[in-house]
Amino acid sequence: MSMLKTAGRQLLALYPLLLIAVAWEIAARMGLVRALFLPAFSIVIQQLGTLTLNGELFPPLMVSLYRTAAGLIIAFAVGLLIGFFSARNRFVRWLFNPLVAVGLPAPKIALIPIFTLWFGIDHMSKIMLVFITTVFPFIVSAAAGARTVPTSQIWAARAMGTSELALLHRIVLPASLPSLMSGIRVAVPIALLTTFTTEMVAGGGLGGALVLAQRYFETPTVYAYLLVMLVCGYVIDIGLLRLRRRVLRWHEG
Amino acid sequence: LRYVLSTLSWIGPFAIVAALWQGIAMLGVVDPTFFPGPATVLAATADLLGSREIFVNLGASLLNCFFGLVLGFAIGVPLGVAMALSPMADSFFGPIVKATYSLPKAALIPLFILWFGVGGLTNILAIMLTALLPIVIYTYHGVLGVPQIFIWSAKSLGTPRVKLLGRIIIPAASHSILTGIRIALGFSFIITIAAEMIVSNFGIGKLMFLYGESGAYQYMFAAVLILVVIAYLADVGFVALSNYILRWQGPID
Repeated sequence: MSMLKTAGRQLLALYPLLLIAVAWEIAARMGLVRALFLPAFSIVIQQLGTLTLNGELFPPLMVSLYRTAAGLIIAFAVGLLIGFFSARNRFVRWLFNPLVAVGLPAPKIALIPIFTLWFGIDHMSKIMLVFITTVFPFIVSAAAGARTVPTSQIWAARAMGTSELALLHRIVLPASLPSLMSGIRVAVPIALLTTFTTEMVAGGGLGGALVLAQRYFETPTVYAYLLVMLVCGYVIDIGLLRLRRRVLRWHEG
Repeated sequence: LRYVLSTLSWIGPFAIVAALWQGIAMLGVVDPTFFPGPATVLAATADLLGSREIFVNLGASLLNCFFGLVLGFAIGVPLGVAMALSPMADSFFGPIVKATYSLPKAALIPLFILWFGVGGLTNILAIMLTALLPIVIYTYHGVLGVPQIFIWSAKSLGTPRVKLLGRIIIPAASHSILTGIRIALGFSFIITIAAEMIVSNFGIGKLMFLYGESGAYQYMFAAVLILVVIAYLADVGFVALSNYILRWQGPID
């Protein structure tokens, strides 16, 4: 009963979105805007259903998700290493601090033409671009997390004979998990943005499919793809929040 | 002297990167047309900076970026304040903000082109929308974070409700608001360039793409370099401005 109640309340909390959908539907049905610009909401949903049923949606979606995930994973691994070592080693810090200071705010999206030139128009250039856009937040959050480890804990572990490598994954990694999780939450939307934008410029994936649909003035398809992108970002964000709660149970509990 | 030394040590890593880059370029493992060395790129940069073309396009891009950011600020701060102070505004805009936050705003550009045509208005609106959300969210959290004690004491000292906002709430939340704007600044650079690369008839993003397509790769690299420097200076400048505004508090970074 109480579950039903909370579910009902959650649905009720979404009323503004419903309101917008209804207003959109009415505006389109009454012909206030041309269907070419704004097809009725129901038509968009219908188109989304068609694209799902005939399977047209999945290949580009999978391509986009693959590129996003691959870039993120590489960036995470590299960012983690650089971040940890720059928190522990003065030379690494000296080397990377200025590079990160310039690299973090730099609009890496400008590298699209260069990366396309170097890595071609297929997966590689997009993955590398996702990597380069997300590695900086990962470095920053890994370094920030590693710096929160109390020196006494490191001394204690060393005194008990923990090796330098074991130290990293036994002490530093768990201690910086909260910071890393925040880093992931920052990086994922950036990764999605990068993937879709690159695809819109250089083709392929959901971004390429969207631009193509717009070029043929298949407006309902454009809106359908937009909805898919929106849901993608939303679902992944919720998933990350869940993951954070699970992984950090010992931290916040 | 200490200042000079710290500047030199800060530049060091860039020198190493440039040396590596030059080394690879001179070894000839990669085709020099695709991989021009830093000397070539710097020469091209000097060449570009001597031409009118780059300033006209850069100016147009930066102007768009600025207008979008200002619009995002002008809408975002009042919206964030309203959401934090009024539960009704929160329950209405909250779900909308949440649902649209994870949408890569670059994906809206094809639609905006359909509605507003290719050019300035489309780009400014896309930038505004991108800048809006971080500003709203940081303003919201900033205002929610204002200690209730400040408000109570102001009230007990006879501050009228109308003046509470300008005298207590906004100053106390300004740190958070400025952080939001800093994030929005980074995003707006990305969208400015993305919009110009997807479809545009002017701007630095378009120029970069043109250089790439016509095979003038050293100029493409030079344009990217100029852009990275500008984005970095904008970030540093904004932090300096924030610290000046917040000189009655501690520095941001």
